[in-house]
Amino acid sequence: MTTVPFSLTRVGLIAAVTLREAVRQKLVAGLALIACGFVLGVRALRDFNFGAPELKFIADFGDGVIAGFGAVLTIVLLAQLFFGELESRTALTLLAKPVWRSEFLLGKFCGVVAVVVVFCVLLTATLSVVLWQRESALRVEGFATLPAGVGFDPGALWVAAWLHIVRLTVLAAGMMLVACIAQTQLYAIIVGFSGFVVCHLQHVAQGVYSRAGSSAMAWVATLIGWMFPDFHLFTLEAGGAWTFEGVARLTVYGAGYAALALGLAVWVFRHREI
Amino acid sequence: MRRWPLGSRFGCFAIVKSRWRLFATVVAGLALGGAILTGLVVPQQTNREESGARLRESPGAGALFGWLGGFRALAADLLWLRMYAGWERRDLPGTQTLIRAVVAVDPRPAYFWINGARILAYDQPVWRIEAEGGFEAVPTERRRVIEVEQARLALRLLEEARGLRASTAAMWTEQANIELNKLGDIAAAAASFRRAWEQPAGPYYAARIYGELLRRLDRHREAYEWLCSLYPKLPPDDEAADAPLVLARIRELERMLAVPPAAAFRSGR
Repeated sequence: MTTVPFSLTRVGLIAAVTLREAVRQKLVAGLALIACGFVLGVRALRDFNFGAPELKFIADFGDGVIAGFGAVLTIVLLAQLFFGELESRTALTLLAKPVWRSEFLLGKFCGVVAVVVVFCVLLTATLSVVLWQRESALRVEGFATLPAGVGFDPGALWVAAWLHIVRLTVLAAGMMLVACIAQTQLYAIIVGFSGFVVCHLQHVAQGVYSRAGSSAMAWVATLIGWMFPDFHLFTLEAGGAWTFEGVARLTVYGAGYAALALGLAVWVFRHREI
Repeated sequence: MRRWPLGSRFGCFAIVKSRWRLFATVVAGLALGGAILTGLVVPQQTNREESGARLRESPGAGALFGWLGGFRALAADLLWLRMYAGWERRDLPGTQTLIRAVVAVDPRPAYFWINGARILAYDQPVWRIEAEGGFEAVPTERRRVIEVEQARLALRLLEEARGLRASTAAMWTEQANIELNKLGDIAAAAASFRRAWEQPAGPYYAARIYGELLRRLDRHREAYEWLCSLYPKLPPDDEAADAPLVLARIRELERMLAVPPAAAFRSGR
C-alpha cells in the first residue's frame, strides 16, 4: 500500500470546510449575538457597581463574557462538529480517500480555532468601543483627567484578548482529545466542561492539597498540576499590568499544552474504530 | 450468542485492557509533557502567591473566585447588595459572612475593605449592645468589651486587605480612626496616621493629626520636630495642606518647649 505524504494543504481545506460549517451553525451566531448583547448592555448594570471604577467594571465584565461564552462555544462547537462528522458518516468517506487521520483532526481543530479567534476579536472590538465611548462621556461630564488607573488601556485589553485566544486554543485541543476518547457527544461535552473547571480551579486544588500536609496528596496535586494547564495564569485583568516576556511565556506554555493534547488526540484517533 | 475466547483480541478482558492502556498512555503523556512545560515555562508566581493567601483565608471563596473569572466584579457587587439587605435587618452573622465573601470574591476595590471595616467597627457594636438590652441596660464595661471585640475584627479585616492588595492611604486612615475612636490607643493611631501620610497621595491631614497625637502623648519635642520637617513640604496655595495652621502649631509648641527665638523655626515664606 502506498501512503501519501502529510499535507498542510489538505489540513487547510478541512479547516476551511469546518469554518464554513461552523459559521452556518445557529449555535455560533446565537452565542456571538448573546455575548455581544451582554457587552453592549453592560452599562445597564452599572447601578450595581460599588467597588470598582466604572470603566474597570465594564472591562472586567466584558472579560468575563469573552471567557465564559468563549469556553461554551469552544466545547460545544468542537463536540458538535466532530461527532457530526462521525454520525453522518462523512468522516468515513473522507478517511477512505488518501487523507491522514491527523490531517482530519488538525483541520477540524484549526477550523474551530479560527471561529474562536473571530469570536474573541469581535467581542474585544465591541468592548473597546463601549469603553472608549464611556471614557469619552466621562471626560465630557467633567472628568477631564481621569485618575491614574481609572482610564482604560486598549493595549492591555488586546493582550487580554490574545490570552483568551491562547487559553481557548488549549481548551479546543483538550476537547479534541476528549472527543477522540468519548463515544458520545453528550459525554464529551460533560467531560470537556469538567476539564475546563479543573483547569480553572487547579491553583485552588494545589493550595488545598499542599495545606493537607500529606505526601500522597501532594503527589496527586503535582500529577494534576502537570496533566492540566493552569487557566488561572491566563487571567489578565483588562487594564492590568503585563509584560511581553510574561505574555510570551504564557503563549509558549499554552502552545505546548495544545500540541501535547493534539498529539495524544491523533494517537487515540488512530486507534479508534470509526 | 457468540462468545469470544478469553485472551483473544476481541475478548472482554482484551477490550478492558486496551481501554486501560489508552487511559494510562494519555495520563502518562499529559503528565510527562506537562511536567516539562511547567518546568520550562515557570508560571507567574505572583498569581499563585495571591491565590495562596486568599486560600488561607477561605478555600471556598478561593474556588468561587477561580471559577468566576471576569464576572467577579459583578458577583462581588451583587453580594454587597445582599449584605446591605442583612445590614438593614441588623443581621450580625449574615453581614459579617457576606463582608468576608465580598472581599474574597473581589479583593481589589478598597471600597469593600474600608466600608466592611466601618460596619464591623461602628455599626455592629450598636447592634450587639441593643440586642443585649440597649445602652442604658448594658454596663459600660460590657459595652467597652463589645466595642473592642468589634474594633479588633475590623482591624483584622484591614490587615488582611494589606496582605492581598496594595495598601492605600485610605486604609491606614481608617485603621487610625478605629484605633483612636474605638480602642482609644493613641500611640497606635499616631503610627497609623503616619503610615497613611507616607502612602502615595497620603492626605495632609494625616500628617497634621500625627503631630497632634504626638502632642497628646506628651511627646512635644517629637511633635515639634515633625511639624518643622513637615512645613516645608506643604504647598502654600493648597487649602488642604493648611500650612498656616501647621505654622501656628509650631509656634505654640515653641512656646510650650521654651525654644529661644534664635533657635525658633524659620518658615522662609
